[in-house]
Amino acid sequence: MTPEVLVFDILAVIAVIAGIGVVVSRNPVHSAVALVVTFVNLAGIFVMLRAEFLAAVQIIVYTGAILVLVLFVIMLVDMDDLPEFHGGAPLQRLSAIVIGLILLGEVAAAVLTRTVVGQPGPWNEETIAAAGGNVQVLGQFLYSGYVLPIQAMAIVLLVGTIGALVMARPDEPTTRAGGRTTGTISLGHSRGADLVALPSGAPPARVIHREDMRDGLVMVTSADAYTEHAAWAGTDVPSEPGAAEYPTGAGIGSEENR
Amino acid sequence: MKDLLFLIPLLPLLAAVINSLFGRWLLRDLAGPIATVSVIGSWVVSLLVFIDQLGSDQPLTQHLYTWIPAGDFQIPVTLHVDHLTAVMLMVVTTVGSLVHIYSNGYLAGDTGFYRFFTYLPLFIFSMLILVLANNYLLLFFAWEGVGLCSYLLIGYYFKRTSATKAANKAFIVNRIGDVGFGIGIMLIFVKTGSMVFSEVFAQIPSVAGSTVTLIGILLFIGATGKSAQLPLFVWLPDAMEGPTPVSALIHAATMVTAGIYMIARSFPIYIATDDARLIISIVGVATAFMAGTIAVTQFDIKRVIAYSTVSQLGFMAFALGVGAWIPAIFHLVTHAFFKGLLFLGSGSVIHGMHEEQDMRRMGGLKKYMPITYWTFLIAAAANAGLIPLAGFWSKDEIIVGAWIDHSYIIMVVGLIAAFFTSLYMFRVVFLTFHGKERFDPNVIHPHESPRLMTIPLILLAIPAAVIGFIGFPPEDGWIHRFLSPNFTLDGAHEAAIASLNAVEGAAEHHVSLATTLTLGGISTLIALAGLWITYMAYIKKSPAFDPNMWAARFGGLYTFVSRKWMFDELYENLIVHPLYLFSVFLWRIVDAGIIDGAVNGVAGVVGFTSGRLRRVQTGFVANYALAIALGAVVIVGAYFVFASNLFS
Amino acid sequence: MGELTATHFLLLSAALFITGMMGVLTRRNVLVIFMSVELMVNAVNVSFVGFAWEQNSMIGQTFALFVIGIAAAEAVLGLGIVMALSRRADTVDVAEVTELRD
Repeated sequence: MTPEVLVFDILAVIAVIAGIGVVVSRNPVHSAVALVVTFVNLAGIFVMLRAEFLAAVQIIVYTGAILVLVLFVIMLVDMDDLPEFHGGAPLQRLSAIVIGLILLGEVAAAVLTRTVVGQPGPWNEETIAAAGGNVQVLGQFLYSGYVLPIQAMAIVLLVGTIGALVMARPDEPTTRAGGRTTGTISLGHSRGADLVALPSGAPPARVIHREDMRDGLVMVTSADAYTEHAAWAGTDVPSEPGAAEYPTGAGIGSEENR
Repeated sequence: MKDLLFLIPLLPLLAAVINSLFGRWLLRDLAGPIATVSVIGSWVVSLLVFIDQLGSDQPLTQHLYTWIPAGDFQIPVTLHVDHLTAVMLMVVTTVGSLVHIYSNGYLAGDTGFYRFFTYLPLFIFSMLILVLANNYLLLFFAWEGVGLCSYLLIGYYFKRTSATKAANKAFIVNRIGDVGFGIGIMLIFVKTGSMVFSEVFAQIPSVAGSTVTLIGILLFIGATGKSAQLPLFVWLPDAMEGPTPVSALIHAATMVTAGIYMIARSFPIYIATDDARLIISIVGVATAFMAGTIAVTQFDIKRVIAYSTVSQLGFMAFALGVGAWIPAIFHLVTHAFFKGLLFLGSGSVIHGMHEEQDMRRMGGLKKYMPITYWTFLIAAAANAGLIPLAGFWSKDEIIVGAWIDHSYIIMVVGLIAAFFTSLYMFRVVFLTFHGKERFDPNVIHPHESPRLMTIPLILLAIPAAVIGFIGFPPEDGWIHRFLSPNFTLDGAHEAAIASLNAVEGAAEHHVSLATTLTLGGISTLIALAGLWITYMAYIKKSPAFDPNMWAARFGGLYTFVSRKWMFDELYENLIVHPLYLFSVFLWRIVDAGIIDGAVNGVAGVVGFTSGRLRRVQTGFVANYALAIALGAVVIVGAYFVFASNLFS
Repeated sequence: MGELTATHFLLLSAALFITGMMGVLTRRNVLVIFMSVELMVNAVNVSFVGFAWEQNSMIGQTFALFVIGIAAAEAVLGLGIVMALSRRADTVDVAEVTELRD
């Protein structure tokens, strides 16, 4: 057993166990943390595979951005104790496990009996070192032959951003579970009544005005002060909750809201 | 002349079309004269054709167009006139014209006036095509055409259930005969390769004898239906539901004679087969006898004449069967006139008695309707075969023909049938016109019919009386010489036939004068015997001849005969009722049960399956993902099994 | 088990992939499903890079890079959908959202 195999075994086993942990954890936060462990181990495996840049990208993008985003969402979304751990859909789970094991067997059979066809490429250790290292080679590749895919991916990311913005935009004023309508940018808690009430006596809303701000910033300090007033819509804050009309025609920079 | 042949059928057809399109609102009462004029026009052209044929031995042929040009199967529409056709043309158009004139009076004021005069010329058209056709298929087409018009005209009073049922019965029974006829025509085509008469007859000697017999029998089955022979006669008495002019034209003179004409036309076929002719003669004479007995027991005046028609058709058929070809046609001609006259006269009686048809409620009409009486009497005497009227000559020759053919039993049965003929005919005359009135003259005022009806009666009475003389002297009269070309075989043909079976052609129809006189005397004696018996029974009211006593004497036999030999009951129980039960079975079990059940069952299965399959759509996305995973497993597994070398 | 060959990496990739797949099929919490999907994507990445290492090629790594980029965009959008779903249906349980039925 060579040392590479040993290292690989350790990394792989931990990754797989963590993967299983993602799937079976009751608390989604536990799943997220297990996923982090998996990703880090996979980064290690990438390093073993002489893909150092990819390992770094994996850590930065996957664990640093995507998983953090997932954690944000877990926090923001209210989760019940779902019935899946109380015996829901046993047939589905059983058949999923069976199918998974069969597929695993099939893929393992395919892998173990494969024959390699074609010629190996030119990029072994010496040539990579001669070209300046993994990053240099990868950069050469991306910005010569794969320029267009890079541009396309940039557009995809842009589209993703725009899509996220669109989806996060406030809805039309809708009546929510608590019976209150909201037009704010808040991503909306499902049950406004769960909000912790602020200490009484605090003013319901305060307008903070600074010279370098064009419009005032409305700071809402209690659940009751949820307002139909958009945060950017100016300093006229109605004091009673839920009674204000949604300002029509008003927008950022409109004269009348000054 | 031959270029004018097409006018003969065309004129009535035009009248029928015009009346059907414009008769109801535009022409109304004009429909009658239009139809009458067209048929008279046909009569004029037929007369010209007849005169032409009198002087020549050449048939006239006019080819109109080819109906079915299909390689070897060529059916032309060709009008062909030889002597036989010329005779038939005169009969059809003469009686047809007179009936048209008569109908203008009989149906005056009827709401369906235009409809009658659509169907009647249409019938004339079909009948003319039938006698003018030069091939079997065109004849069959016209055969069906006259059947159709008969159905339309019998059911003319369609609001009467009995009339519609009678029309159905006529058509359906005809169709049963047509099955045999159709198969016979197909067999002719298969064996001789053509349907045109001349070509078929040329091929007959080369066809096997048994096949020719079969063809003959099949063709005769068709004639059985159309000409009301023994098994298939049941429609004719019920056909009296139609108006009387219809009965006169169709069921006396023309349609029912189509069968006789067809067999006469197929002379070369029948001369080659003894067995078929034997069957024809037996069936014919049995029909004549049976119908005669039934006619004696009927009380409806039209029914008696209807059974008389059946009986006389039996005579014609048995004449053809025993080889008396020309006498059969001769009898056809004379019968057309006196039977037509009998029907028209009875129509006049019914009209005068305000739609009363039962003879038991008539009597003594002689003084109220003299013209009707005298014409009717002439016709009745002709029918009975009293010398020197028309019926005697033709009927006598049929008897002689049976003698020549050595069919003595058939001849004796024929004589018995002739006795019954005289019996029922004079019975009708005495019951209707003589004696005291059996009705209240103050309630029903019988009156003579209008001139439009009596003039045709008179015009028909003349040929009924004298047309017998076209056959005088017997066996050598004008009609024999006129029709003999139709019924002689040319030399080679005759030799071939004679070698197949020993038979004499019609040209060798010789008999000694003594035999003729003897048989003529016997026939006259029989007719006079019938006259005397009815005279004693109905005029003298002699107790020994009291009809009621005789009816009681024969009890069961009388009932059997008066119930038309139970033929209707036989058919009803044997054929109609089982068919009806079968239809109900097909309806309830096959149609509603099996077919509808199958269709509904398919729908039910589909519904059930979709109800079950609907559960796949759980809406739960994880289930759909499971399905995808399952598919992936299956595909990869299939790849391993079939396309890789893991399990080779 | 002697030398380190690509087979090891491929088996690892298969195990991770199957694990992720079972998570997708079994769990009802939409966020755990999402994380399972990310697990599957990473398994595929390992497979790519493994083949690239075996074949001395850079294309595998390039591809894996692109996969990570796309996965990032997909994560953003997917989580946005999760947020919208939770706003509308007040739940993150996929078994509750069955309007595709009937």
